[in-house]
Amino acid sequence: MDTHALRLFGVRALTAVAVAAGVAALVLLAASVENSTLFSHWQPWILLLNICGVMALMALLARKFWQLYRDFRDHKPGSRLTVRTVLMFGGLVIAPLIIVYLFSLDFINRGIDSWFRVEIKQGLNDALVLSRSALDLRLREQTRRTEIFARSLRELRGPELLQRLDEERRATEAKEIIVYDASGRASALSSDTPMAQQPAPAPPDVALQVAAGRTYVSLNPLPDGQYTIATAAPIADAVSARATRRYVLIDYEVPQELSALAEAVQHTSSQYGDLSTVREPLKNTFRLTLTLVVLLTLLAAIYGAIFSAQRLTRPVQDLIAGTRAVGKGDFGTRLPLPSRDEMGFLVHSFNDMTKRLRRASEEAKRSRQAVERERERLSVILSRLSTGVIVTDRELRLHSANQSAATILGGDFGNPEAGQNLAQLAGGSMRFATFLDELRGRLKSGLDEWREQLTLPGESGERVLLWACTPLPDEREHGGVVIVFDDITALLAAQRDAAWGEVARRLAHEIKNPLTPIQLSAERLRRKLLGGMNAEDAQLLERATHTIVQQVDAMKQMVNAFSEYARAPAMRLAHFSLNGLVTEVAELYRLQDPDAEIRLDLDPTLPEIEADRGRVRQLLANLITNGIEALAGVADGCVELSTRQQRAEGAIAAVICVRDNGPGFRKEILGRVFDPYVTGKPRGTGLGLAIVKRIVEEHGGRIEAENRPEGGAKILVLLPVSDQDRALFAGGERRVELRRERA
Amino acid sequence: MLLKFRFAVGLGLLLWLGMPSAWGAAGPLDGDFQIRSAFVVIDRGVLQLNVHVQYPINDRIRSALQDGVTLAFDLELNITRHRRFWLNAGVVDMTLRRELTYHAVTDRYVLRDEQGVEQESFPTLEGALDKLGRVEDLPILVESQLRGEGPWLVAVRAGVRRGRMSDTMRALMFWSDDWHRNSDWYTWTLTL
Repeated sequence: MDTHALRLFGVRALTAVAVAAGVAALVLLAASVENSTLFSHWQPWILLLNICGVMALMALLARKFWQLYRDFRDHKPGSRLTVRTVLMFGGLVIAPLIIVYLFSLDFINRGIDSWFRVEIKQGLNDALVLSRSALDLRLREQTRRTEIFARSLRELRGPELLQRLDEERRATEAKEIIVYDASGRASALSSDTPMAQQPAPAPPDVALQVAAGRTYVSLNPLPDGQYTIATAAPIADAVSARATRRYVLIDYEVPQELSALAEAVQHTSSQYGDLSTVREPLKNTFRLTLTLVVLLTLLAAIYGAIFSAQRLTRPVQDLIAGTRAVGKGDFGTRLPLPSRDEMGFLVHSFNDMTKRLRRASEEAKRSRQAVERERERLSVILSRLSTGVIVTDRELRLHSANQSAATILGGDFGNPEAGQNLAQLAGGSMRFATFLDELRGRLKSGLDEWREQLTLPGESGERVLLWACTPLPDEREHGGVVIVFDDITALLAAQRDAAWGEVARRLAHEIKNPLTPIQLSAERLRRKLLGGMNAEDAQLLERATHTIVQQVDAMKQMVNAFSEYARAPAMRLAHFSLNGLVTEVAELYRLQDPDAEIRLDLDPTLPEIEADRGRVRQLLANLITNGIEALAGVADGCVELSTRQQRAEGAIAAVICVRDNGPGFRKEILGRVFDPYVTGKPRGTGLGLAIVKRIVEEHGGRIEAENRPEGGAKILVLLPVSDQDRALFAGGERRVELRRERA
Repeated sequence: MLLKFRFAVGLGLLLWLGMPSAWGAAGPLDGDFQIRSAFVVIDRGVLQLNVHVQYPINDRIRSALQDGVTLAFDLELNITRHRRFWLNAGVVDMTLRRELTYHAVTDRYVLRDEQGVEQESFPTLEGALDKLGRVEDLPILVESQLRGEGPWLVAVRAGVRRGRMSDTMRALMFWSDDWHRNSDWYTWTLTL
């Protein structure tokens, strides 16, 4: 059983005890007042039951007061209203109650006192004295008569005595005359009623009185309201006149009228006296009863006030609790309907309101969830897009962007906050800065919709973007725009590669075929004509044919180079040590050109790679040749080759870095150094780096060229170490390919 | 919870200490009140009760009587048959009720039975109370009424209260009427 149930049980038990005690006390009181013996027996129990009832009531009230005090102390909602209501009820009840109480007390005192007025008491006392006086007169008369009669009996004995007694009884209308002898026995009797039995012995006090020589007289009340006067006098001796210890007892009957009057006085006086004795207890009883009634009325009024106030404030407390719950977002709060009055209407309205709020909240929640789902879907789409997307306003405050935008522009978005300026996200990237300058200029000029190609300079060469801007449909007045851009540099390069491949094939086909007949024809001419010519002509012919043959060889070499560039790869993959190959090629160049300074910085942890060893050898040879040729005329020229291992796109790649301290690439060709026939050297064919790039692409790798800040060129080659890594690397590169396709 | 418990204990102690002192206040019937002796004699098959009761006597009683108060004197007799494995069986349950008043006209104390048939007056209160306290040869039952085997338990108790009060007055005097007092039970075993 929990605490609340225990308290409820206690309150109900106390109430039941109070009611049961009150009812039981009432029943016992009603039953006992009809029987004085029962009243005596049950009075303690009635008292105990009343005490129990009052204690239970007091306990209930004390509990209510304590509850009220606790609520007030804890600032419980509605407690102040309850206290004010209780004080108001109490104030309204106490003042009239006190007035009524004081007036009632005075009325009780005066009223009960008026019942026992002094005049009545005095009148009754006077009547009593008068009755006594009348009876005293009778007593004295009968006493004197008895004394005279006793003297007349001193010489009488036997029948004479009896005759005298009868005469006297008839003469005085006495009820009975008895003569007792010295032993206390009745020696003679005369009675107005026939008596068969022996008369009773005289009362002891009579004998004592008479023995002392005095006359005895007594007034005795009878059960029927009559009075009798009993007189006794000693009978003197006939000779000496001394008492003989004989005495006569005469029982006179008081006249009926006098007895009735005296009895009436006695009865009234007794009743009045009886009532007078309860005057003070009666007043106290009335005072106590009045005080109890007033107290009970006051307590009941206060209890009723607390009960009513709590009943009144309970819906208010519920409303406050409900309002707080709604404030905290709990729209499922339902309040119990207290009644059908105004408070009930208010609670009903509240419930209706929470019901509507709950529906609206659920609707909003569903909408929010749908928006969130759409947002997440869009976010996933954007994150998977290879196209860069930036949403911004005219002040270049970022609204949203995807990772591809950062990748393309070389910036670092990280976790950009909405409202952050795009310039803060550039991170020193030249491409990003140029992009922002272009964007800012166009937006400032009022443009908000375009689709163009944009070339961005960069540390690793130019990048060509295809970018488009569109104003957001609902934010045109706020200047919100969405910029979509693709890096089409690789696409353009691929297009150039394809064009050059076609050129190479045509050259190989169209130029190489006539070269051999030309060379053969020139040699045939020299052989046929050389013998029949004079020395001077022969010398001339010799030089001419030699030149033809030599130039044709040169053209053949050039055509073969083109043919090599355009030739479809036939990869022969094998596992080998890249470091070993680099060392081998470097040693070869050191032997060919002792003046060439070639330094190696090889990563010993680099694993073997799976590649076409011959093509990688050609790649290294072209790069070293390119570097050595770039160092022509440079003092302390040096070519540095380094290898290392790098994890990229989940794949392991071997990185070959070739650096020189030559003049570097010219800025105008930096973005096209891997194109055929693009060269910064006066005697270069412009196919070396193009072939290198083709070999790298055949191995699924990546190549970049840039100028070193301290001077010189730097070419970075990434080659996946295995077929598996190549596949992973190709997956990572797929987005780049997609971008190319879209572009 | 602890405070409530302490409050309840405190209140109980207060009542426990306060109530006996209130009940022990001096009453109008204070004085020596006891049954000095009681016995039953069998005279020709009739069981007769003899009791000597010492009733209280003081100035308040005397004054109240002289003011007109009637005092009722009850003598309760209870005879039960002892049963070993069950409640005792009742044999006789009787009450001898008498009233004592002061007759102001005759200046005598009048003693009468409940029906007012038998009446006797005394010049002094002491004489009246002495008469009241001596019950002699009061027939209570015949021997044949004592069925079964004994022993029989006899219990006698005397009581004094205010008599001749109307029901209304008695109800009104509920809180302040202390004119009632009983002696302790005087018990003995009756053997035949």
